[in-house]
Amino acid sequence: MHIKPFKEFKKDKIGVAGLMLILLLITTAILAPVIAPHDPWDYSAPAFQPPSWEHPLGTNDIGYDIYSELVWSLRTSILFGIAVAAIACTIGLVLGVSAALIGGMYDMVVMRIADALLAIPTIMILILIAAYFKPSTTVLIIALSLVLWQTTARGVRAQTLSLKTKLYVKAAKNAGAPTSYIMYRHVMPELFPLYAMGFVTKARIAVFMEAGLSFLGIFDPTTKSLGIMMSYAMRYLYLDVWFNWLLPPVIALSLLIISLGFISYAIEEIFDPRLRRNNATPI
Amino acid sequence: MRKRAVKMVAAYLLTILFLLFLNFLLPRLLPGDAIIAMYSGHEIAMTEEMYAELVRMHGLDLPLHEQFLAYITQLAHGDLGYSYICHASTADLIMGALPWTLLLVGTSFILSAVAGIVLGVESSWRRGGRFDEALLTFMLLLDGIPSIALGIIALTVFCLYFGWFPSAGAMTPYSSVEGIGHIKDVLWHLVLPLATLTLSMIPGDYLLIRNSMMLTIREPYVLTARAKGIKKRRIKYLHAARNAILPFATRIGIRLAYLITGALFIETIFAYPGLGLLTYSAISNRDLPLMQGILTVSVLMVLLINIVVDLMYKKIDPRVENAY
Repeated sequence: MHIKPFKEFKKDKIGVAGLMLILLLITTAILAPVIAPHDPWDYSAPAFQPPSWEHPLGTNDIGYDIYSELVWSLRTSILFGIAVAAIACTIGLVLGVSAALIGGMYDMVVMRIADALLAIPTIMILILIAAYFKPSTTVLIIALSLVLWQTTARGVRAQTLSLKTKLYVKAAKNAGAPTSYIMYRHVMPELFPLYAMGFVTKARIAVFMEAGLSFLGIFDPTTKSLGIMMSYAMRYLYLDVWFNWLLPPVIALSLLIISLGFISYAIEEIFDPRLRRNNATPI
Repeated sequence: MRKRAVKMVAAYLLTILFLLFLNFLLPRLLPGDAIIAMYSGHEIAMTEEMYAELVRMHGLDLPLHEQFLAYITQLAHGDLGYSYICHASTADLIMGALPWTLLLVGTSFILSAVAGIVLGVESSWRRGGRFDEALLTFMLLLDGIPSIALGIIALTVFCLYFGWFPSAGAMTPYSSVEGIGHIKDVLWHLVLPLATLTLSMIPGDYLLIRNSMMLTIREPYVLTARAKGIKKRRIKYLHAARNAILPFATRIGIRLAYLITGALFIETIFAYPGLGLLTYSAISNRDLPLMQGILTVSVLMVLLINIVVDLMYKKIDPRVENAY
């Protein structure tokens, strides 16, 4: 591949903006224990305090510091996103490559399962599973990963199939290279764009789902979550708390998803040069 | 063509199998008791008679294959179970909510598709230009605002702050207006949920069409059309967009699944009495039979649309006949 991904990425304004934003949010999440002025699980002041130096966003209905809650919720969102993306992409990679290499009945079954998963509204499955089991974070991470792998598997399979017929792969094989070497040296690097793209899109879906599920009240209630914050703030809308309580989680969630969207758009543009905006139009 | 048909049917069957697994097998495989798993909750005090009746109703005293047969027979009769919390048949509850969701999702589907296609085509035609850059950035930003956030913002601004639109329901309660007034009332309640759902769908459609147009307008036949002196609008929409729309058509089923997800949040936020709000109440009450019923109906709905799209796909893309 004659694309230098990092060089191209640096040129892409949208991609750089997304990356800066996500790095900022991740840093905030990592530093949550330092940045948050109060323990978000503990009563720190009377309820419904307006914003002050002590409590930058005031306190909520049970006297928790909203700003501390926000920072910790961001941490939950990002961790959930990374966990789901990593697991789902790995499943997709393994199933996609193996389907392409093994072929036959196995390939057929894996791909039809992938087709079937497309038609089912993911959120309904998660809701039902969360209702059967206790809505714990682990269960939801696994359940979401199990329904999100199919786009990566499909892409990886197609790419591997086309790689199999490439002359340099055949040459390597004829020269006696072991399969593991071909995988590591020739197949995996070519699959990197798919993996990167899949990771970002899946993280994006996962972050949205985490907020959505907790908004609906089917997430582990002991964790701090942007969705839980929103759903509680919605209940006290009549108190005019939208500015310091409702808006912050809404903005944090949007920024997180926007940054991931920017990055995925940039990746897509880098690896498919035909999509580039600065590319001279042939007509 | 036959290979394609076999693939499609296999995927449909698997979807249904998966649905049965979630609705039938999983609660029975769980440790403990399927009845407890399905009906436990603080709202219901389980009596001996009730327990016995539930066991009989679900046929839990029978062997598993007979249970399955009974379940399928029930399903075939349109019986989706009974909600103890609402004291009503699940099918009736769903049928009461479904029209509102169909109104919301259907209208939003059409509006967002038209807007996404037109904006995508125009944007790709002017790629790199100021219009394209601005629209692309705006769409990427809009794409990043999740439907929940969009709904919450719309609710606070237009219902609570300005008070222009109602904040709940699908029509004014206890009103006795008929005819035109009734329709106006329904539309007035529809505006905000519809606008937010549509806005949340447009960026996805736009980006898809824009990307696919970018690839299509490089095709030689577009150049030929231009050389022949055909009007720009004709080339854009009848030559290029006609082909660029294909990936959109294959994704109709996926879009519908997205729309159902979006509608779930939007309906919850605006208390719009469709399937989404019903799901929300089922969650809050831990009403599992109702959740299962809603899952069944929504999966069947998406499946049905997929079948229709697959059957119509030859019309949309006449080349598929020769492709296999």
